[in-house]
Amino acid sequence: MRRKKVCFVGYGSTEYSRKSEASVLWYYAEAIRNALKQTGLHKKDIQGLSITTQVSTDYSPHVAEQLGLELDWVLNGDYGGAGGVMSVRRAADAIEAGHVDVVVLVGGNSFDKSVVHQRPLEYQRANYVDVYGYGGPNSLMALIQRLHMEEFGTTLEQIGKIAVAQRENARQNPQALLRDPMSLEDYLNSRMISDPIRLFDCVMPCSGAECVVLASEEKAKQITDKLVYLVTDAEKVHYQVANMLPDKTTFGMKVVGDRIFAEVKREDIDLFEIYDDYPIAVLIQIEDLGYCKKGEGGKFVETHNLTYRGDFPVNTGGGELSVGQAGLAGGYLHVVEALRQLRGEAGARQVKKAERALVTGIGWLSYGRNLGTTAGLIMERRK
Amino acid sequence: MAEKSLPKINKIDEPFWKGAAEGKLLIQKCRACGKLQFFPRVVCVDCFSGDIDWVEAAGTGKVRSFTWVRVPRNPAFKEEVPICYLNIILDEGVIMESRLVGKGIENVKLGDRVKVAFQETHNPEIKLPVFELAE
Repeated sequence: MRRKKVCFVGYGSTEYSRKSEASVLWYYAEAIRNALKQTGLHKKDIQGLSITTQVSTDYSPHVAEQLGLELDWVLNGDYGGAGGVMSVRRAADAIEAGHVDVVVLVGGNSFDKSVVHQRPLEYQRANYVDVYGYGGPNSLMALIQRLHMEEFGTTLEQIGKIAVAQRENARQNPQALLRDPMSLEDYLNSRMISDPIRLFDCVMPCSGAECVVLASEEKAKQITDKLVYLVTDAEKVHYQVANMLPDKTTFGMKVVGDRIFAEVKREDIDLFEIYDDYPIAVLIQIEDLGYCKKGEGGKFVETHNLTYRGDFPVNTGGGELSVGQAGLAGGYLHVVEALRQLRGEAGARQVKKAERALVTGIGWLSYGRNLGTTAGLIMERRK
Repeated sequence: MAEKSLPKINKIDEPFWKGAAEGKLLIQKCRACGKLQFFPRVVCVDCFSGDIDWVEAAGTGKVRSFTWVRVPRNPAFKEEVPICYLNIILDEGVIMESRLVGKGIENVKLGDRVKVAFQETHNPEIKLPVFELAE
C-alpha cells in the first residue's frame, strides 16, 4: 500500500499511424499537450518527466531541453512493455518522497527514418538467439504458447477468443487502427508467423504516443474532481533468472499478483487492462494473477465474456492487438484506457461499473525463460 | 544484402566459441558451488562467485518447446524457412535455445531426444552448435 496518496489526474493520447514519419519528439509533445489541455495545467507546472528511451535516441534531459521543460526530476523509463506501470511506480515514489507534486510520463514511437532507433541486440540475444534465424519476439512467445498448449491442453480457440473479444472492444475505439470485425475463423486462418503464433496473435507496429499525469493528492484536488488513486503496485524483474530449468509458463506476474492482492480483493476489480503483446500472454497473466489455477486459463476465458459489456472486461479499448503498438507507448496504453474507464470517458465502450482497475505490464523476453520485467498496479476512482 | 547473423564473440564467451570450433559444447560450471549455467556470464547466477570454470557437455538432451519460424528477424535467413527454433534441456540440466536441423525434423515433438552438431558458417573460424534428432 502506498504510504501517501498519489493520484492520476489526466492523460493525453495522439492519433496512431502506420505511415507517419513525424519524429518521436513531435509525438511526445503532442501527447503531453493533450494531457495539459485536459488537466488545465501549464507547461511550467510540470516538475518531473519520464520518457521511454528504448526506441528513441534521446534521453530524458535531452527531451526536456527539446521541449523547453525546466524540471526537478527526470527518468528514462526503460523497462520494455512494463515501462508504463514501472515508470508510474517510480514517479509515485518521487511524489511520496516530496520531491515533486506533478509528474508527466510519456511513451511513444515513430517511423522517423532520419533517426536510428534500433538499439543493438543485447549480448545473449545476439550471440545465442539471433544466430539461429529466430523470428524475434514472435518466436520466443511461440515457444511459451506451444508449451502451454501441450502441457495444459489449451486450444487455439481459447487463445483466439481473447483476440476476438479485444477486436470487438476496439470497434468502439476511434483511436484503434484495427476496427474491422474479426471472427474466430479469421483468427485461426490468419497467416502463420512462427507456429503456433499467427498474424492475429501479433501487434501492429505504429507511430503514436501516450501520456499520463500523476500528482500528489493535495495537488490533484486542485486539478480535477475526477480523483483516481494509485492504490497498490508491485514489480518483479527477472523472475527465476538463477534457475536453469525455469517454469516457462509462469511469469513474474505471479509474485506481482500475490503482492497486490494481499491488499485488494480479486473480486473487487471491475476491469482488467492486461498487457497484450500476444493473446497467450494475457491468458497466462490471468492465471498468474490468481483468477484461476495454472493451466486453467483456457477454460477461464471460455467461460467468461471478455468484452467491455462482459463479466470480466479485458483490454476494453482493444489493447495493443487492435489499437496498434506504438513502441513503448504500448505499456502506457493500458494505463490510459483504465483512466478513461474510471473517469467515465470511454464513450461507447464504457464499462458500467468502473471503480477499480488492474493494469499490468510485461517486457523483455528473456533467454530460455519468459519475461524480464513484470509489473502491476491497481487504481481506484474515489468521489 | 543482409548476411546471416554471427556471434560477436567477447571476453565472456570466447571459450564457448573456441570449444564449438573444435566440436565441443562447453557450459559454465561454478567452482564455488558447483552449479552449471548457460548462457555464459561473468558470475555464477546462483551464488555470485566469479570463479567460473568451463566443462564439456555431453551434447544430448530433449526438446522442451519449439516453433516453426516463417518470418525470421534477419531476412538473410528467408530462404531457409520454415526454421525449427527450439528450447532444449541438456542432460546436464540447463536450458538452451538453438535450431533443429537434419532428417525427420518435420515430425518433431516435445520430449524428443536430440544431439548436438556443429554447423559451418561463412566465417571459417566460427561453428554454430545446432541440434539433430537422436535415433
